[in-house]
Amino acid sequence: MELIGNILYDTIYHSAPIILCVIGGIFAYKANVLNIALEGMMLNGAFVSVLVTYLTGSVTVAILAAIVTTLLFGLVFSCLGITCKGNVIVIGLGINLIVPAIADFVLKRMEIANISLQNVSVADFKLHIPLVENIPLIGKILSGHPIITYFAFIGILFFTVLMYKTKFGIYIRVVGENEDSAISLGIKTERYKYAAVLIGAFCCALAGINLSMERMAMFTNNMTAGRGFIAIAAIYCGQGNPVASALYAILFGVARALSINLSVYAGPVSGLFDIIPYIIMVTVLAVVSYTKYKNVKVRGFKLD
Amino acid sequence: MNKKENVIKTMLNSVLPIVLAFFIGGLIILGIGENPLATYGLLIRKSLFTAKGFLNTLHYAAPLILTGLAIAITFKANIYNMGVEGQMMFGGFFAGIVGAYLPNMNSIVQKMICFIVAMGCGMLFAFIPALLKAKCNVNEMVVTLMLNYAMVKALEFLTTGVFRDKEAGYVATPTIKDGAMFQRFGTSRITMFFVIVVFVLIIMAIIMNKSKLGYEVKTIGKNAEFAEATGMNVGKKIVLIMLISGALSGMAGAGWMMSDQFKFTLSFSGNPGLGWDGMLIALLGGHSPIGILVAAIFYAALKTGSDSINLYTTVPKEIVSIIQGMIILFLAVKFIGEHTNWFERRKKKEEESWS
Repeated sequence: MELIGNILYDTIYHSAPIILCVIGGIFAYKANVLNIALEGMMLNGAFVSVLVTYLTGSVTVAILAAIVTTLLFGLVFSCLGITCKGNVIVIGLGINLIVPAIADFVLKRMEIANISLQNVSVADFKLHIPLVENIPLIGKILSGHPIITYFAFIGILFFTVLMYKTKFGIYIRVVGENEDSAISLGIKTERYKYAAVLIGAFCCALAGINLSMERMAMFTNNMTAGRGFIAIAAIYCGQGNPVASALYAILFGVARALSINLSVYAGPVSGLFDIIPYIIMVTVLAVVSYTKYKNVKVRGFKLD
Repeated sequence: MNKKENVIKTMLNSVLPIVLAFFIGGLIILGIGENPLATYGLLIRKSLFTAKGFLNTLHYAAPLILTGLAIAITFKANIYNMGVEGQMMFGGFFAGIVGAYLPNMNSIVQKMICFIVAMGCGMLFAFIPALLKAKCNVNEMVVTLMLNYAMVKALEFLTTGVFRDKEAGYVATPTIKDGAMFQRFGTSRITMFFVIVVFVLIIMAIIMNKSKLGYEVKTIGKNAEFAEATGMNVGKKIVLIMLISGALSGMAGAGWMMSDQFKFTLSFSGNPGLGWDGMLIALLGGHSPIGILVAAIFYAALKTGSDSINLYTTVPKEIVSIIQGMIILFLAVKFIGEHTNWFERRKKKEEESWS
């Protein structure tokens, strides 16, 4: 029972940053700008938040700095990719390489291997929900998570509404589905694409803060470990639907929670558990694409 | 527009990002209170302007040329094979295992076996995303990226567990047999592997520019639907292209194993990894074989030079990675597009003023 409780708690815990990335990335996906810089942006959020806290001691300043710098990366991305019409995949890769390089550079310069915060305790960030906490079993699973984790789950709902029920969401989807007709309607397409990328950057910053500061109060380089790419895979599996994509993100959370909790019993083979999430995602992606592609009867080949 | 002008434009498009990236890198170096020009001088003096240093640079360029080619051929067909890193590691790992456990025999045969095993591994690993792409139209970029992470984790497990060399003081597989090692020429690090790479480069240049396959690759890249409509089996061709890419990556891994590393450690491919460097090289070289050769040598010079930066200045050598990232970032944008046309505009003005 204890084990199942732990697995469920860890599932929520590990899903949160990926969900944030997913709901951030969906807008760019819908606006037809493939943002593979999610990974780098998340790492930037993680790095800057911890670095600024380490230097200034103020958590608020750190969170603001993390969000602002990540938005700057979003601006660079959209400026080069949308205004200058560069190849967004290559730009995304560039950002994914620059961020860890900068983090490495700064860490080497400060002559430390990783930053761990002494004056911040992880327990401070944990939110205990008064009533829910006292329910046996469920209370332990649902309560006691960092604040941003709750944001992530509320975010799924919020962004679903934003995407499907508001003018803004509809415009973003129109821009992605048919840019020409969007232009003919007088929609400023570039502006909506910028907005989509910047929403993604903002969410990634939150995901990064959640990952480094809220959960561990420390930063090691490359701690995002491909979560941004998992988010992209989840978006593809869910075909851009926020709820479906978030469910795939949670699937990764489950796999990760299983691999961590079962590794106690498995011993040295535990290293292999880490592979499971990636394999699951590839399989899901294959099945989803296959079922979608099966019904296409027209002969032809379209690279996307 | 004449051909000469096109060449100038392609060159400018590759050189401008480098200049820009180095400029911003220079600002960073200034920011931490060092002299950027002196630092850049150190970066390239030893690696390009001394005979031994240059040969070392060629040695480091060898695997990069192969990974660059592996990426270029897929990018040209508009397929994003991001799995070159994983394919390279997979190939390198099993080349190392075969090289270490196979009994001693004729050294050429031994090397051949290592190469074949590695190329097979690379092809196998590239086959999965290729098949998914061709049969189910799965986005190959996401799949290859995912499989990369899975591969890194799996090799980590194999290195720390099954194939660990118990006698080594750190995590590594056993050292390969002498017969499987490439011998160095003289005092520099360059080996026979570089010659093989140049040979492969020439073959690939012929395939990409002169053969039917090369033409098909270009057509698929320009317009896959059109290619299908003219009767090409695009799915089959994509599998073939990915297999070639996988074989090249595997070969890069095997060569790196047999000419430099001799055993598989967790930092086998370095940081950010030979596969990722290959991507920069393919982009920098404009996906053309000669461009890739030049770009690989340039990049290898930076890599070897970064060590002397660490020795003689207080600038961390990670500055090179930052510059590399920025080069990729700026390479994505065509500063001078096909339609920007200073030359013609100026010509027109001249003509107008004449008339």
